[in-house]
Amino acid sequence: MNEELDIAAAEYVLGTLPAAERARFASRLAAEPELRDAVRFWGARFFPLDEAVPPEAPPPELWGAIERQTGARETAAAAAGATDVVSLRRRLAFWRGAALAGGALAAGLAAFTLLDRAAVSDLPAAGRYVAVVDTGGREPALIAEVDTATGLIRVRSLAAETPEGRSLQLWHIAEGQGPRSLGVLQAGSEAQTIQDAPSAGPVDGLIAVSVEPPGGSPSGAPTGPVVYSGRLIAVE
Amino acid sequence: MDQRAATNGFSLPGLLEATSRGDRAAFRNLYEATAPKLFGVVLRITRNRSIAEEVLQETYIKVWQNAERFSPEAGQPLAWLATIARNRAIDRIRSEHTERITNVGDENVLDRLPSAAEADPATRATLRLCLSGLDEEARSCVLLAYCSGFSREELSERFNRPVGTIKTLLHRSIKALRACLEQE
Repeated sequence: MNEELDIAAAEYVLGTLPAAERARFASRLAAEPELRDAVRFWGARFFPLDEAVPPEAPPPELWGAIERQTGARETAAAAAGATDVVSLRRRLAFWRGAALAGGALAAGLAAFTLLDRAAVSDLPAAGRYVAVVDTGGREPALIAEVDTATGLIRVRSLAAETPEGRSLQLWHIAEGQGPRSLGVLQAGSEAQTIQDAPSAGPVDGLIAVSVEPPGGSPSGAPTGPVVYSGRLIAVE
Repeated sequence: MDQRAATNGFSLPGLLEATSRGDRAAFRNLYEATAPKLFGVVLRITRNRSIAEEVLQETYIKVWQNAERFSPEAGQPLAWLATIARNRAIDRIRSEHTERITNVGDENVLDRLPSAAEADPATRATLRLCLSGLDEEARSCVLLAYCSGFSREELSERFNRPVGTIKTLLHRSIKALRACLEQE
């Protein structure tokens, strides 16, 4: 790889890049796998130095603070019938497993509308992302490609099945945010392009597909069960 | 010492996996098994106890939220956790002017490498060998930067050299290390 970039990666890991350069470098990581590889190389090679640092007991009250900040959110959310994105993901995992089997589902998605927007993702930069959207380990139903540079999302349907008299609606659920509609999947079309990619910037989270009334959710938030979902990953 | 022995009988990948499923007991065990190590690491970098505590707290909140992103194939769990903690700590001390004790720094960390628990012994031996190949001042710069969070400016002060010279020294050391690490 380019020697200059390799040096920047090493300095990023060493921590000696000045703040602005550090931020610039970090913002390139999501879109540039070569840089990520270099950072991984240096991180793994220097890691023995971390191990050599003697452990130091953190103050006992620190765990309580962590527990409050991670647990309080869940407890409050559960009380309100809502959820944060962490438990949302877990719930999605559950749905993925349980969902499609029967075709018709009882699980409503009211929880979707009350997500905690406080959780912040660190993933920087723009680029191309892909999500293999499936029912959880089974064969992919569709593939969604997100290109934040052009603002396009391409959806290729492989085996997505639209229940009789309903529409399938595509959602992007960024980390720490509520689901944003990406549009309704056209029944019978194999590939479809949506001019509505998440704006340049962090792209992460899930692509999910819910069953909605014909033409899509009337409320702007998912109302029917999630039948497919998949995590967005940066394209190598 | 194997990994299990180092973490009171728990395997770190198992704890991370359970944490990603929302298992709070696993999350607590993960914290107890790894927090002292990470606290040691961030304390060295931030050189400020209250900032180190905040960084550690942010680190574990992030771990709770992102545990599912860990993949056992990608490397050691402790290295994954340490990366999150290190990046938080460095971002913190670089982005704001914080009160730090500057009269510290650990240049003898190499002597302690053999006691390390998780890293592959070959990686350890190679690192030691390659660092030993640098001249003393260059080696100290690299170690003070990585282990103690020294900026180029702080290194310049410590070694009484212009910042530009330190930058050149770091770059030369990195090139030499890359060549050596790849060869070994």
